Amino acid sequence: MVQVALKFPIFFNFLIQWKLKMIELLMRILVYGATLSGIYALIASGFTLIFGVSRIMNFSHGAFFILGAYFGIALIHGIGLNPYLSIIISILIVGLLAAAMYKSIISPVREHEVMVIIVTLAFALIVEQVILLTFGEHGISFPSVIEGVVIVGTVLIPSMRLFVLAVAIIALIMLWTFIGKTRLGKEITAASQDAEAAMLMGLDVDRLLIVTVFISAILAALGGVLYAQVYAANPFMVLKSLIFAFAIVILGGLGSVKGSIIAAFIVGYILTAVIVLYGARWSEFVALFLIIAILVLRPSGLLGVKEQ
Amino acid sequence: MKILSKRKISRREYLKYAAAGVVVAAGAIGGYAAWQSTRKPLEKEEIIIGVLAPMATRQGSVQRDAAALAIEEINATGGILGVPIKMVVGDDKLDPDAAVSELRRLVTVENADVLTGGYSSGIMAATMEPMAELKTVFLADASSPAHPAKVAEDYEKYKYWFRITQNNGASFAFDMADMIDMLRGKGVPVDKIYIIRDEHVWADDVEKFFNPLLTERNVEVVKNVKIPRGYTEYEPLIIEAHDLGSQVILPIVALSGTGDVLAKHWATLKLPVLLAGHDLAALDLGFWEKTEGACNYYIFIADGGVVQTAPPTSVCTNFIENYTKKYGHPPEAHQGYGAYDAVYLYKMAVEEAAKAGAADPLDSDTIVKYLEKLATLESPVELTRNIAFYPPGDENKWDHDLAWGDKYVRNWISEWIDGKWYQIWPEDKANAELKLPPWFK
Repeated sequence: MVQVALKFPIFFNFLIQWKLKMIELLMRILVYGATLSGIYALIASGFTLIFGVSRIMNFSHGAFFILGAYFGIALIHGIGLNPYLSIIISILIVGLLAAAMYKSIISPVREHEVMVIIVTLAFALIVEQVILLTFGEHGISFPSVIEGVVIVGTVLIPSMRLFVLAVAIIALIMLWTFIGKTRLGKEITAASQDAEAAMLMGLDVDRLLIVTVFISAILAALGGVLYAQVYAANPFMVLKSLIFAFAIVILGGLGSVKGSIIAAFIVGYILTAVIVLYGARWSEFVALFLIIAILVLRPSGLLGVKEQ
Repeated sequence: MKILSKRKISRREYLKYAAAGVVVAAGAIGGYAAWQSTRKPLEKEEIIIGVLAPMATRQGSVQRDAAALAIEEINATGGILGVPIKMVVGDDKLDPDAAVSELRRLVTVENADVLTGGYSSGIMAATMEPMAELKTVFLADASSPAHPAKVAEDYEKYKYWFRITQNNGASFAFDMADMIDMLRGKGVPVDKIYIIRDEHVWADDVEKFFNPLLTERNVEVVKNVKIPRGYTEYEPLIIEAHDLGSQVILPIVALSGTGDVLAKHWATLKLPVLLAGHDLAALDLGFWEKTEGACNYYIFIADGGVVQTAPPTSVCTNFIENYTKKYGHPPEAHQGYGAYDAVYLYKMAVEEAAKAGAADPLDSDTIVKYLEKLATLESPVELTRNIAFYPPGDENKWDHDLAWGDKYVRNWISEWIDGKWYQIWPEDKANAELKLPPWFK
């Protein structure tokens, strides 16, 4: 190898440069893709959790995603709350709003799947219009809770991206622990496997549903807050986030939290890789095209829950 | 019985009666002319001005509010020829179908005599058809040179269209070339730029004019990235721009709507590359707050010919003051200047037509004629800006387009500096010096 290098120094130097460049590109894709994937995983896991337990397609999930950010911004600019506190309060507000919405709007039509889709979609569109009229069409940044950049090798990584990734991972681990280790989580799992049997076993399925809606909205709102930290809150994210969440959930397999998390990372990495390697204009096109392609090969998604 | 016919009239008496007759006739003609000029045109109870724009956006709401202010001011001084003006509003929802049906509603149901508004070039292209069909004058906002080209190609059909804001599809190219010259003049070596632009027809138009200007200046475009609407992943692009050796990231963005994220990512990474170009989001008065100050040192084109801290005319100063008094904030987008000027220009055209004795001063064909006569390249009308329209048969096919140039309307070069939006070029009109970011070396 050394002899080859000595014989062809220019070629060898080019090879090293190319290799370093590729490593840098891969690092960039790895880190930037992970942030986006983490945010997608939060919103998608909540979406699939509700579906798993109640078979409800909650199309207002995108509204909860972005409401988390807007409530937080309103709390900071409106009453001067500190960013950390506003994040916690806004997430809780969204959780309560979602639970109230479930009880008042979804629950009465729960048995009619199409009606559920219509009312939740209508709710999302109303939220989008209210945000548009209140905050305008341009994005608003959530005040950064962390600033600066970290340099790994030659790759620049904004500290906020690492923070967002860390928070998303912690939240997903907490969700995993809650579902797998706590009594309430196990009850939710039982209800998602067979709601009727769970009811016969004495579980209050309706209460479990409200808790599930609350948790899934909290996850979405957290995703929204993190999204607005890296990017900006924007009313059009109501539908855009819903489309991506829905696509990810379908890809991961409806009802599978694990599948959604895996699918979120697949989609996040495809988007970032396409931006870095081929150009911004193709990113969403390629991601959605690949989702369709995967679903053609595997219609139930990656880890789909088989319907009984 | 006295027979009058038999009485002889002396020459002196004859001349006296003749003179009296001439005086009476002249008085009658003068009185008729005066009555003509003050009578209500077509005996209308009100003149109706339609505002058609995307009302959920600030570009739309500012047009509605600015037109309302102009109407309020005009009505307070007797309206147009004594007829009060009423405003009717249509929401195009940034959707061509909605825009076309709203235009039809405004003209056929609400009986609008004239229209102002618009925003998106794509939607303007769609609404020009019903405008032509209904023969309604439209003093419009949109960015593409394709619109005046339609007027040039079929004048009789599309002559009702006038652009009251600038032809950004072409003028941005000249303004951005000036921006490069200005930066070079200030010692910033600009020979490699990285373009981030909307994936939209209006940006294609800008590039058509911009590319030859870049070639003239020996500026290399290291990469040209087209971004879709709502695009947010700017960090990889900024890093790439730096890696490719560009000194300037030049945005040509409006419809992507995420200039705030671009500014935020640029300010986060702090790479030695300037952010200078056109970004509609940067024209938002709340841009500083919305980006948490990340837009500091963002150099951009002040679309609309007005920088609020340096208004170009006294009318503009008054408009900004009155608007702020009425709505509690200054005009939130540049389209407001166009809508305000449109109402006044229409008033002037109607009055000129009436003064010249036009049978129907509100007739669209008549208004077109008087708008063409009123705001000419030789004598622009001073409103919030100096308004002149290119005449029919313009060599560039910019018929009825707003004239661009130092004497008329230009998009001045601005910069966000420490929380304020300043004009930094041309030097005789600037109210601040260019300030480079500390991380740009």
